[in-house]
Amino acid sequence: MNFVVLAVALPLLAGFLTPALGRSSRALAQWLGWGTLAVCIGVLWVAWARLDGGTVAIAIGGFRPPLGIVFYLDAVALLFGLAVPLMALLLWPREGTPQQFALTLVLTASATGLALSGDIFNLYVFYELTAAASFGLIAGRGTGAAQGAALRYLLLSAAGSVLLLAGITIVYLRTGTLNLAHLATLAPERLQDPVGLAAFALMLIGLGVKGELFPVNGWVPEVYGSVSGRLAGLLAGLVSKLAVLVVVRILVLIFPQPEAAQLMLVLGMLGIVAGELAAWRARDLRRQFAFSSIGQLGIVFVAFSVPGEAGIVAGLAVALHHLLVKPALFLLAERWGGSIEGLRGAGRGHWLASGLFILFALSLVGLPPLPGFWAKLLTVMGLMGLGTGLAWLGALTVMAATVVEAAYLFRTLSVLLAREAGYTSPGPHRGLDLVTASLAGLVLVGSVFALHPLGDGLKAMAAQAADVQGYIRTVLGDRAVARRGQREDRISEAHPASRGSDRPMGRADRAYGWPAGSPTRGARS
Amino acid sequence: MTLLDGLWLASALTALAAGLFGRSPSAGPWLTALYGVQFLLVAFMGPLAYGADPVPASPAFSVLGYGLSWQFTALSWFFAVITAGAALAAAWFMSGAWGRHYAEQGGDLRLLQLALALNPSTMYVLLASRDFLSLFVGWELVSWASFVLMLAAGGVGVRWALRYLVYAIGGAMAVMAAMVLSHALTGSFEFGALAAVVPDLSAGTLWSLVILLSGGFGVKMGLLPFHLWQAGAYAETPGPGSAFLGAISSRMGLYAMLLTLFGVLGLGTLKALSIPWTPLEAHELLAWIAAFTIVLPTFTALKQNDARWLLAWHGIGQGGYMLMGVAMGDALASAGGLMHVFNHATYQAALFMAVTAVVYRTGTADLNKLGGLVTRMPLTFLVLLVGIIGLAGLPPMNGFVSKWLIYRALIDDGQPLLFVAAVVGTLGTIVSVYKLLHNIFLGQLRVEHESVREVPGSMLAPMLALSLIVFVTGLAPGLVLDWLTTVQRELGLAVLAPTLGGVERPDGGLDMLWVVGILFAGFGVGALIFLAGGRARTVHQLDNYAGGHFLTAEVRYHYSDNFYAGLMHRIGPWYRGSFQWLQDSVVAATDLLAQAAAGVYRVVQPAAWLLGVTVLALWWVAA
Repeated sequence: MNFVVLAVALPLLAGFLTPALGRSSRALAQWLGWGTLAVCIGVLWVAWARLDGGTVAIAIGGFRPPLGIVFYLDAVALLFGLAVPLMALLLWPREGTPQQFALTLVLTASATGLALSGDIFNLYVFYELTAAASFGLIAGRGTGAAQGAALRYLLLSAAGSVLLLAGITIVYLRTGTLNLAHLATLAPERLQDPVGLAAFALMLIGLGVKGELFPVNGWVPEVYGSVSGRLAGLLAGLVSKLAVLVVVRILVLIFPQPEAAQLMLVLGMLGIVAGELAAWRARDLRRQFAFSSIGQLGIVFVAFSVPGEAGIVAGLAVALHHLLVKPALFLLAERWGGSIEGLRGAGRGHWLASGLFILFALSLVGLPPLPGFWAKLLTVMGLMGLGTGLAWLGALTVMAATVVEAAYLFRTLSVLLAREAGYTSPGPHRGLDLVTASLAGLVLVGSVFALHPLGDGLKAMAAQAADVQGYIRTVLGDRAVARRGQREDRISEAHPASRGSDRPMGRADRAYGWPAGSPTRGARS
Repeated sequence: MTLLDGLWLASALTALAAGLFGRSPSAGPWLTALYGVQFLLVAFMGPLAYGADPVPASPAFSVLGYGLSWQFTALSWFFAVITAGAALAAAWFMSGAWGRHYAEQGGDLRLLQLALALNPSTMYVLLASRDFLSLFVGWELVSWASFVLMLAAGGVGVRWALRYLVYAIGGAMAVMAAMVLSHALTGSFEFGALAAVVPDLSAGTLWSLVILLSGGFGVKMGLLPFHLWQAGAYAETPGPGSAFLGAISSRMGLYAMLLTLFGVLGLGTLKALSIPWTPLEAHELLAWIAAFTIVLPTFTALKQNDARWLLAWHGIGQGGYMLMGVAMGDALASAGGLMHVFNHATYQAALFMAVTAVVYRTGTADLNKLGGLVTRMPLTFLVLLVGIIGLAGLPPMNGFVSKWLIYRALIDDGQPLLFVAAVVGTLGTIVSVYKLLHNIFLGQLRVEHESVREVPGSMLAPMLALSLIVFVTGLAPGLVLDWLTTVQRELGLAVLAPTLGGVERPDGGLDMLWVVGILFAGFGVGALIFLAGGRARTVHQLDNYAGGHFLTAEVRYHYSDNFYAGLMHRIGPWYRGSFQWLQDSVVAATDLLAQAAAGVYRVVQPAAWLLGVTVLALWWVAA
């Protein structure tokens, strides 16, 4: 399975070649990009087929974990990994410069890396690379607004990275390792305290900048409002989800303490409220979608904060739904940008585009049997199943946000389809934008007919992602699992309330024998 | 393939045909025929109302491990037959001249036909639901279908439709919360699973379920305080659409309440659930909400100057009678409440159509700009007359029977205050529908309406047919009451023993055959005196006096503006618009919050938020 590394290496390589190639032929550079992405899709597809529902860890360069760095492949990682080149291809900057092609390829490489990496060090590197590529792409449009937005993003993102790095540092100081599986074995002993929680908080906020977490998402409306629909779709649909995916990996593997999930729940709730309400007031279509994206990401965070499989199922459902819908909406907004009031009647005559808008809006609001409904239902079920007051408040927030969402989406639609004449249309949507959006619409409608297998697939995926022992076993082997179990026994004796008591017990095993109390003498020291 | 499958298929085909061919006015009769097929299919399921086994639907799905299945029972059938009838009448009404006129005026006939067709087809899905998940799916579909119908008019209707949407989604979310709560309690979405654990549930949980379900479904019914959307949304829909919506749409809320509150939780549970520190139980609370829903909207209707709005406000008030009857729950009251659903659908559809007919001929529904039309549109006048007698709940029409049953039950149950509320509501209705009749048809004809003629047959036929039903089911209410005994049995309520003319009771029952007979005998006596008197003189419509002022035929006089000035002098100051104020404050508060939320994203230094949240998070971790 080592060939999976190609999915990261190839676009990176192509990304560095493209500017040089673009000097002689822009078309060739473009074809190189498309070809690379197609190969990436092929590589990941083959991996998906070979994996067949299992999990695999790939030790890069043959160094065995926890010493070497690893890629961890399970269904979730591969699904998001596959989504990266696919969406990059669909949302390719067709009218861009070779530099933008290059940056898109680098973004693809780093985003794929984010999906597949099995250790925090790599994650950090890919995260930074994603950020760098995004800055370039955002500023690349050349308008003053875009450059201002890029600067805003740059500042926030840099500050976020510092926090992320600080969090990683704490984790490393405590455990001496950055391998996620290895951390999972050590976490019950060394990170179940306020300092560990602080590390999580720092990492959450740091990663939250790209995951559109409240309140570190100040860049979102500016950026999505000023860049092209394709780039906005790529950032809102894909990059944000990958940041969330990283958070979820960290949460599930390393920080099973309830406080960590609570922090995420609270910030997610605030994000829902702020995003949806701001969208309600927004008078510009792209900004409205940007704020709506903040709200949706809030729901994603809230859903993932539910411990165990239920939360992951719900979070995946909301995230995948948004990944499908929001880029398509941004593509539709390409021709309908600017002030909403100025769009009076703009949708009349463009029935395909309007119909797609209606479909996406209905799914976002959650009209059964569209997928958005099931995602919302799973989220609310997960939250209310917990039975705590805070979770109830979360469910209430999600449901109240639905009302606000319906109000502004359909207010916008009523303006678009108003019967008044007088709107001078900037022409129909570009064919390719419409085709891409239609594709998303088809997938959305098609999934209604495949709800049963999709639901089962999602459940299996979530079960795999929630299986901490499975992760450890895949990366480190069986003995490490027993080791964690034994450690958790000690922890749960000391803190009976802490989670993780459902994991099997095991005998002490000294496979990686670090003497207790010498945290710095880890694999990386 | 079962009859229910056939019904679904027929309604889907109707919607498809409406979408494909609805644009052409000549498609109207064909579409009407398709609605006729739907009605026939429902009629074939008639044995359900006499205790036959439920009719299942063949499609059954399983999503995320939860099964969804559908079937028609007596309760479903009762609502379905009204739905199918109302849809047939509305489609018939717009099938000819009205549809052509609408298209000529620039209306989107295809959209209207499609929207109308979507409504009954989604309702048949809702009415067949037999678990929380299918109920919710059907509920949302119905909500969105009526949203589309409200949008059809464009213009001011859009604003009302959007307001409806906010209320409807809010209600749907309450229903969703109830459904998920039930799932959290039982691990399943089956009604049976919840019914099984009801005896073990704490009062708090039960109250949550009751409030969420009655609030969520109550939004659709326009129960106070969630009623503000309904009048505008229904009134501003194009004529036949209002007739359909006014007849049955909001009753879906009652259906869902019956299914969940009475069918699953059970009336016994509601009766055992007392409100702390008060003598009230849950079902009485519902009855009191119903009482306020009767009185306040009815008197709001009194103040309306647009005929469509007046009727729509009455629709909200009449919903109160239905809920009041059902909430009291004994044999008489629940039969009255349920029968009122049927009765109201028949006369309300006829009334909306009569008003639409007037609009069709005169171009206005403004009660200050009409008058004297009785000489020009006598049959429409007759339909409106029959309709308002039904709406006011007077004999010999069917509205009297259902209200009589409710009054009687309230007295039997020792609920004098609720009784007074119900009677006050009726009083307000009588006063207000007289205004409707008077301002449109009585008085002197306006000059601009000299050339108005009666509406064509395609519009008259459904109106007259509905009027006939209003009269016949008033004469022989047993026809409908028979169905309701099966529904009562299904819901576990006490069962009425009806006769063809009404009910027999040792302490005085109701036999409409006698009531109507005596009424008409009285008319006969009057007619005899009239004919025997022999000194009749025909007076021209314009040859009359007004309040002692002599008017010549040049001055057309019709007293309509500031109608009931004397009454308004007394009760006028009682209208406070409190609910409007409440709604406006909620909107203003949301707007304020939204400004704050938008402000978060307007800061020059977003990194300050990052710093702030980091400090807060670390402080929280340390604490």
